[in-house]
Amino acid sequence: MKLIKSPFKSYKGIILEPQIRDFFTGRIWIRTNTPFPQEKIETNLKFFKITPGITTKRGLLNRKIYRCNRCHNEKQQEFVRYDCARCNQTCIYCRHCINMGRVTSCTDLITWNGPKPKFSRNHILDWDGTFTDSQSKASKELTESIRRKNKHLVHAVCGAGKTEILFPAVLTALKEGLRVCIATPRTDVVLELFPRFQKVFPKTIIHALYGNAPTQTGLAQLVIATTHQLYRFENAFDVVIVDEADAFPYTYDPALQKAVLKVKKQHAPIALVTATPSHQILSKVKQEQWGYSFIPKRYHGHPLPVPIFQSLWSYDKQILKGKIPSKLSKWTETRLKNKEPFLIFFPTIKLMEIAIPLFQQINENILSVHAEDPDRKEKVLKLRNEDIPGLLTTTILERGITIKNVQVAVVGAESKIFTSSALIQISGRVGRNVNFPKGEIIFYHHGISTEMDEARTEIIRLNKEGFGGKTT
Amino acid sequence: MKRNEVSNCLLCNSTLNQQITWKALLTNAFPKTFCIDCEQKFEPYENTSDQILSLYQYNDAMKDFLHRYKFMHDIILAKVFREQIHKHLSKTRATIVPIPLHPAKLKERTFAQVDELLKAAHIPYEHFLEKTTTETQVGKTRQERLATSQFFKLVKECKNKEILLIDDIYTTGATIQHAKSLLLESGAKSVKAFTLIRG
Repeated sequence: MKLIKSPFKSYKGIILEPQIRDFFTGRIWIRTNTPFPQEKIETNLKFFKITPGITTKRGLLNRKIYRCNRCHNEKQQEFVRYDCARCNQTCIYCRHCINMGRVTSCTDLITWNGPKPKFSRNHILDWDGTFTDSQSKASKELTESIRRKNKHLVHAVCGAGKTEILFPAVLTALKEGLRVCIATPRTDVVLELFPRFQKVFPKTIIHALYGNAPTQTGLAQLVIATTHQLYRFENAFDVVIVDEADAFPYTYDPALQKAVLKVKKQHAPIALVTATPSHQILSKVKQEQWGYSFIPKRYHGHPLPVPIFQSLWSYDKQILKGKIPSKLSKWTETRLKNKEPFLIFFPTIKLMEIAIPLFQQINENILSVHAEDPDRKEKVLKLRNEDIPGLLTTTILERGITIKNVQVAVVGAESKIFTSSALIQISGRVGRNVNFPKGEIIFYHHGISTEMDEARTEIIRLNKEGFGGKTT
Repeated sequence: MKRNEVSNCLLCNSTLNQQITWKALLTNAFPKTFCIDCEQKFEPYENTSDQILSLYQYNDAMKDFLHRYKFMHDIILAKVFREQIHKHLSKTRATIVPIPLHPAKLKERTFAQVDELLKAAHIPYEHFLEKTTTETQVGKTRQERLATSQFFKLVKECKNKEILLIDDIYTTGATIQHAKSLLLESGAKSVKAFTLIRG
């Protein structure tokens, strides 16, 4: 056992408040906008490193190139010059991360530079589930990669039990006193993961961070956060796991990908977990020799439901005229008759909002959700509790939700927004429960797109990999 | 004015497909800064008096806009309504006087929201007033607002001038009333008001 360090050695003239240390460890924050009273920050200033909000370097032809030191954004269109009344000169601010409080060139960002807190090594995993063979293999491979500080990709089909695979790996890291971050592009996924991890890691301080999250105290050793929240961290984690690494907006926003790199310590490993890895990710895995685990089978051992294509010509015109296409209304009525919960995906909010009163004529309890809907969580819960028969939705519910015996239809599956990975994810909502491993997934289309074909071929391929040639 | 200064909608970040037209090249029209979808969310205000003119209603889209502009300090959003503001104010003969911020508040916010709106719209203005209290009107009832004592003082001679006061939002009218009465008492010929939003 190590000797406890004398507290007087790190004494710097004032008594350090542990709350301040715990909060700022690994974080990068605007000096004047912290959750603490300003005097406390100022008296503890010697423990902080101060960096300017925006740095300027010179590029080609001596042109100024700005960089935001919080979100590491370097897209020059997103920087705005303005006459600052505080400095009486021209200052610059970054629009990329402005929702977290504006960072300007005259803003100070503070990072913790004081005594480092000790992370606990006393963690337990309170989980009595069992792994399938492929799950346990993937879990061991992931744990090994993390121990060796290797990058790793877990490629597992929807419903393979990805979250459980993470448990042993996270436990091993926590027990070594390491700080772990699980990041995901979606708030819904954070909200789903947080209670599950809290339950199985009862001795670990876990924080869930997303936009407008409640304040949580203590030094969190495990942080579950949206990728946006990573802007507020720097050099903080010994292990970073990105769940649903292919989801919007992570793949489209280079700043978010940079954020993942900046929050980890220099040699810390990254693990990506996804059902639909992009070509870029797969080629990186090959080039950089990442660890790779592949689970083609669902945890309950049943194959993935294969989508059925059905034509629904000019569905948008019919809906605009105030009529649900007859195939779709029949499908809905069958679901209602069989008392099966259903999800109907729409390509746009606009079309969905025109369609919802039409569906409510069939059954008045049918609701709709989209990204900006404040009651999103409640509505999904209502469907899960069978308070409502079905839900119309945009792609916002494409991943992360599990509803027993749900049946799914995609209207306008040929639309641009339904990429092959989105369609695979949507198909993955069906048949997740061991008691209802089958279900219907129908792509209603106005012409078959290559993305639809790709999604179907990939699902059939995965089933082949998992079941050696037999598909349903 | 740079033609391509804004390539994405300032409000929803979708790409603006601006077409180069003869009108855009030959006249001094402002390039677009926000998309048609966002534009439709704002509702124009129907003016009933010519003493106080307002452009828009304070609906959800406008609340969101004002929050991002005034409280998240996204100054570039001043450009969103520059065309409309320019259209209404460029022809006026009156002296344009923005409602000022308290100097301490200005330092804190780093910009004066009304001045920036006018600057973006290329409208020249003059300051005649200075705010003497840092107290805000937010959270007060109508009665409380109207009962507050004068919180402006004159910093410039305004005798016999026609004045048009400019503010971002008109809620109960207390601010405009105070400014108006002070200017009239100090000898201004007439005082009218113009606000972007009517609450």
